[in-house]
Amino acid sequence: MQDEESLVRRAQKHDQEAFAQLYEEYFDRIYRYITLKIGDAVEAEDLTQQVFLNTLRSISSFKWRGKPFSAWLYRIAHNQVVDYFRKKRRTAMPLEENLVSGGDNPQQVTERKLDIERVLSAARHLTEAQREVISLRFTSELSIAQVAGVMGKSQGAVKALQHSGIVALRKALSVTENE
Amino acid sequence: MNNKEFDNILNECLERLLVKGESLEQCLERYPQQAAELKPLLETALAAKEASAIQPRPDFRARARYQFQSALQETASRKSRLSWGWFPRWATVVAIVLVLVLAGGGTVFAAESSMPDSPLYSVKLATEQVRLTLTPSQMGKARLCAELADRRVTEIAYMAGKGDAGQVELITRRLDEKLELLVVLIEGRGGLSLPGMLMAPPPDTGEAEAPPVPPPAEDTAPPPEASPPAVITEPGKGWGGKDADDLDGNRVRLRNTLVSDAAHNRVVLRAALDEMPESVKPALRRAIVVSEDGYEEVLEALEALE
Repeated sequence: MQDEESLVRRAQKHDQEAFAQLYEEYFDRIYRYITLKIGDAVEAEDLTQQVFLNTLRSISSFKWRGKPFSAWLYRIAHNQVVDYFRKKRRTAMPLEENLVSGGDNPQQVTERKLDIERVLSAARHLTEAQREVISLRFTSELSIAQVAGVMGKSQGAVKALQHSGIVALRKALSVTENE
Repeated sequence: MNNKEFDNILNECLERLLVKGESLEQCLERYPQQAAELKPLLETALAAKEASAIQPRPDFRARARYQFQSALQETASRKSRLSWGWFPRWATVVAIVLVLVLAGGGTVFAAESSMPDSPLYSVKLATEQVRLTLTPSQMGKARLCAELADRRVTEIAYMAGKGDAGQVELITRRLDEKLELLVVLIEGRGGLSLPGMLMAPPPDTGEAEAPPVPPPAEDTAPPPEASPPAVITEPGKGWGGKDADDLDGNRVRLRNTLVSDAAHNRVVLRAALDEMPESVKPALRRAIVVSEDGYEEVLEALEALE
């Protein structure tokens, strides 16, 4: 991808091509981030779409102040998730097969789907901050520095949350296995 | 070893495992003393990484991309859409004549109550623009804008009932535009190139140009992120009230209207959703999101003034 800062500046001037590049770069990652946060892949669709529409509406207000664009974008996604939980409390829907990548092997896809459902279910037992770190690190694949930027925390604090989050996730996964 | 040191080792292993592609065994060999503690954590991290196999459904991806591109084009052409050129010239001329000469007459009433499938609808939109332009105060414009947003919701429900998804989407964009304009008016960002403001007498700010919008806080998402502090520091300037009491009273009345409209429109649109054919539901869902989020933004902007 072209230098992100110049892309963002062009997008702020309503350059459609620049905005389209940013959209393609972040769409899947934001979708996965939201899915893990809310535990519902279908509901995550509407929220993901809304994140990008909100971004479009407010990108002119984004200012470069040492924080990357991704931090701002994930913050919008975070707020969208918070708003979602505030407005609705719903039971998560089971994952559909075509939501999971895994080649053409149906058995492999099904197994992966079950693994992901277990992770999504277990993630609900984490604290908000732990889930945020796990989601940003392992599904959005951000570095510790980037996660720290998104969450407004120090890298040390993020590493500690990463540790406690993995421990809590392991505990929740083992409970799920024993059920 | 303290927790901080272990957190660093864990993170180092995660980087090697998840980013650099090392195997679990290779990672553990680097830290034999911590291997027993690291192993279950790294296995869990690998399981969590599985969640990155989630991908958007192809049909959702295509739909989302299409809607985003539509919104992008809409935004790019917003200034021109908001200009008089958006309306047919005949409709603008008719609207100006109707408002200035025949205001209150039957023709105005007929156009005002027309729906998007009526030939008079263009006159209705142009008439609204004329009224918006001729309304002198920011508060008056804001009240009118609230009324127009409410009309758009009625039209959305009406066109959804006709099964016309295209019109529902079009009117939803107009609703979004009106709610955005409301936020702009409430926040006092009168320097924007909105037609009603350009043609109305400029607010007496005592400055050559409108004050710049203060930079947003970066830890909040829009709308709070994009919401600057109110510019209403001097009652009677901008919002048109004579004194602070008038200003507060106007704000309260506007707020009450908007709270009532938001609740009513939520019920209207959600009730409509249950009755509509599947072909209209996606457009109607989008309208619901735009309406609910839009009213919320407007009310937040009003609250920020208090």
